[in-house]
Amino acid sequence: MMRIRDPRDFWSGVLCIAAGLGAVVMGRRYEFGTAAAMGPGYFPTILGALLVALGLVASGRALRRGHGQSALGAFRPRPLVMVLASIVAFGVALPKLGLVVASMLLVVVSRLAAPGFRWLEVLVFGAALTALCSAVFVWGLKVPMLLWPAFLGQ
Amino acid sequence: MELLANLALGFQTALSLANVAYCFVGVLLGTLIGVLPGIGPVPTIAMLLPITYTLPPVSALIMLAGIFYGAQYGGSTTSILVNLPGEASSVVTCLDGYQMARQGRAGVARAIAAIGSFFAGTVSTVVLAAAGPLLGRLAITFGPAEYFSLMVLGLAGAVVLAHGSLLKAVAMTVLGLLLGLVGTDVNSGAQRYTFGVPELGDGIGFVIIAMGLFGFAEIITNLIGGGVTRDVTTARIGGLWPSRRDLREAAPAVLRGTVLGSVLGVLPGGGAMLSSFASYALEKKIAKDPSRFGRGAIEGVAGPESANNAGAQTSFIPMLTLGIPGNSVMALMVGALMIHNIQPGPQVMTGNPALFWGLVASMWIGNLMLVILNLPLIGMWVKLLTLPYRFMYPAILLFCAIGTYSLGNNTFDVFLAAGFGLVGWVLHELECPPAPLLLGSILGPMMEENLRRALLISAGDATVLVTRPISAGLLATAAVLVVLIAVPALRTKRQEAFQEES
Repeated sequence: MMRIRDPRDFWSGVLCIAAGLGAVVMGRRYEFGTAAAMGPGYFPTILGALLVALGLVASGRALRRGHGQSALGAFRPRPLVMVLASIVAFGVALPKLGLVVASMLLVVVSRLAAPGFRWLEVLVFGAALTALCSAVFVWGLKVPMLLWPAFLGQ
Repeated sequence: MELLANLALGFQTALSLANVAYCFVGVLLGTLIGVLPGIGPVPTIAMLLPITYTLPPVSALIMLAGIFYGAQYGGSTTSILVNLPGEASSVVTCLDGYQMARQGRAGVARAIAAIGSFFAGTVSTVVLAAAGPLLGRLAITFGPAEYFSLMVLGLAGAVVLAHGSLLKAVAMTVLGLLLGLVGTDVNSGAQRYTFGVPELGDGIGFVIIAMGLFGFAEIITNLIGGGVTRDVTTARIGGLWPSRRDLREAAPAVLRGTVLGSVLGVLPGGGAMLSSFASYALEKKIAKDPSRFGRGAIEGVAGPESANNAGAQTSFIPMLTLGIPGNSVMALMVGALMIHNIQPGPQVMTGNPALFWGLVASMWIGNLMLVILNLPLIGMWVKLLTLPYRFMYPAILLFCAIGTYSLGNNTFDVFLAAGFGLVGWVLHELECPPAPLLLGSILGPMMEENLRRALLISAGDATVLVTRPISAGLLATAAVLVVLIAVPALRTKRQEAFQEES
């Protein structure tokens, strides 16, 4: 009867096996070459194979022995989803809508990741942060990016 | 007297008005992030890297270096006053520093930490100045085989010093090396692992990886853990001046910490954190009455604080002389040099002496500024701790996002960094250490290139790596490191050392 005694190690191993296999399989499309004349596929294939081997050892060991308190914690998706969503929203908004809209979006969405969301506080804080970043990055450091939405026409 | 002439050149460079200003900005920012838990030097330097593009290389390096060692100072302030380490390297300072604060001797503890740090910073600046040219001369005799083996040693060091499972740390290194290979192969022009995405043709910038793994993922895990809560029941700071007895007790500890930190900092994978842990262990071991430790022993503050500063500074040695980063911060420094088309390595010292010596001299100036910044202004830094995390993390996120965008002025990098934030969270959940992955990703292309050259010269004979004496020595050292850690008795020691931290 197979039982996963150490889920963290087991899934780490699975992750490595998948990544290693991917590297090897995709690496087959690149010329392997010889040791004296390494092709683009040589080093990644070796690394991929090594990663698969390491992953197999990690997963294999996790089936045989574990160390008690290593079960995965309860999953609370809210911070993960909101933080990542706020960054993606920033990236999507920036080219067309400019820094002001993009950074307000980032602040509002990311603040939803933690408890205690109050609209007034978040908007005032977001506006202050946006003003600071506009001053530092657009006027000060002259990072080339839009400040206001493109459709407003400047 | 070459050393004096070199140092003179260094101070001339570092004392220009602009460079003093950048040094000040660096140490100020460093102190700030050192005080604030939830943000460390790695994401801060990653954030500021794109900005340094517009600066002269020496000013950029002076500022970024200031952030790194400034964080060591700031971190110890919060350790002493509120029992909350701002940085991993000041964790042990909490043990006795906070006890001293509870006895109303916070001012003395902070002063001893600052004096010790300044002394260590001065000594390690000289060590850096003296050892740099020596190592640089040695490095010129290095061929591709030696460089390959040196990188293996560097990675072995990173693995040994990573938390938790050795096996997973090795796997993370290999995964990092693979990530480093994404992009156009320099030799054949082949597009590797780009999935037809043109933006990946130049490879995945490791600044993006650092931003995702250390910036975004850290915020996510902090928030999942309920945010960073702080109890700022500020202890009375008390007088700043240590008594003569304090000084007598602290002086030997400062000396020992400085020596230990200077040595451990040079080791691959070493640096500030290892140095402070080792110093605390040493002080406790040789003390006449070890039971005083944990109850406000001044040596427990003086030793580790000196050691972490010395270690932070000497960890620049392998990066500047050999071009091999020993820890994540140094990996970002390599990136800062490469942004300016300077290939880190022994030729920096000869081809660009003002850069090397200017940086060395700026560290001493920076340390002096830190003493001034930290002692009289201690109260102001503590007030910063009352800043709630719900204001801090959106600001960090926004700075990171803008910084990532300005790397190449494209939003693809922002999405990629968000992806690495997800990866970082997964790795955190699986207890896989992210630092070896970051180091691997920067060393990947260098390792491949040196292996390719070494095997080309030897006509495909892989034994060249063990028949050349220096290369064999480096590989043997790497093997010894890994074997030592795999020995059960030492493994438990290593776990104990890291447990004190968590």
